[in-house]
Amino acid sequence: MTSLVWNAVEQGEILNPMSYPLTVYRLVMAAGANRDFNAIHHNSEYAQATGAPDIYANTLLLQGMWEKFVRHHVGASARILHLRNFKMRSFNCPGDVVVVKGRVLRKWRKLEEGFLEFEVWSENKHGVSVGPGSVVVSVPIN
Amino acid sequence: MNHSDWRAAWQPMINAVGTEFDAEPARFVADRIEASALRRYLEPLEFDCPLHYDSDVARELGYTEVVVPCSALVTFAYPPMWRPGEQLFTDSERNAQPSGLAISGFITGLEPETVGFFATNFEADYLHPALVGDRLARVGALLVACEPKETSVGRGAFLTWQSNIVNDRHQLIARFKNTFYRYVPHDLVVS
Repeated sequence: MTSLVWNAVEQGEILNPMSYPLTVYRLVMAAGANRDFNAIHHNSEYAQATGAPDIYANTLLLQGMWEKFVRHHVGASARILHLRNFKMRSFNCPGDVVVVKGRVLRKWRKLEEGFLEFEVWSENKHGVSVGPGSVVVSVPIN
Repeated sequence: MNHSDWRAAWQPMINAVGTEFDAEPARFVADRIEASALRRYLEPLEFDCPLHYDSDVARELGYTEVVVPCSALVTFAYPPMWRPGEQLFTDSERNAQPSGLAISGFITGLEPETVGFFATNFEADYLHPALVGDRLARVGALLVACEPKETSVGRGAFLTWQSNIVNDRHQLIARFKNTFYRYVPHDLVVS
């Protein structure tokens, strides 16, 4: 993983999308790993009784998709500072491929620290399912 | 319950907006963050960043230990599902839920009875990194907003809460705003 430097970034730059195929297996693994055992995320019968089409990805899994996406672009030396408007608009269910997309919304600096704000959103076959929101990071200037 | 009644049932919560419902001292979770638990967190995401699994890389970057992903802070601040002396599983019905579910959200006693809930929105300020070895606590439950609304899944309200994550060195790790939708599914609504 390479580390991004602030000087090399262009405002408006589009980031390479990142895909996450969703299966029951993956959602169950995620529930166990992130400890969100709400049955809407691993029990289809239970989820459908609450009005959902099927089990669906939990908040932490969806947030992790954004974090991995941003981290992939900025590298290990960046610090993630803010997450804004992480709005979950529709269910992300098994059979969906969640594609995280984004662009550089803003860049600025304070003394020797550089800051980037990324606009980020997730899409599935129904359209935008999460966001658009933003992630703010600090990165080295050079 | 008619159209206006179900909205009126949320009025006590609307009146309570601005109230801090959890002014208790920090209650730290059962376990310090372990590298193995963190590694397992990465698996379903295939999250390949050495900052989160390689202590040498973390130290090269100025941290004293492996860094917890921001998205995993909630995970490592959850209270335990079970404590010695407790009984979680008392019913063999297929979809029976364990008693005292850790992820039931904050209940004040002012809200009307609901059946389902899920998170809809999340905002965070990450103020200090959490590291392997830290013990976390989630503190505070400030009710920021209550908006009754009928949606495609049922009738209920969007509730927004603010809380903080702290570590056992009294550092403020993050500040969160979470919105949850608590609702009664349409097929259970009595018109």
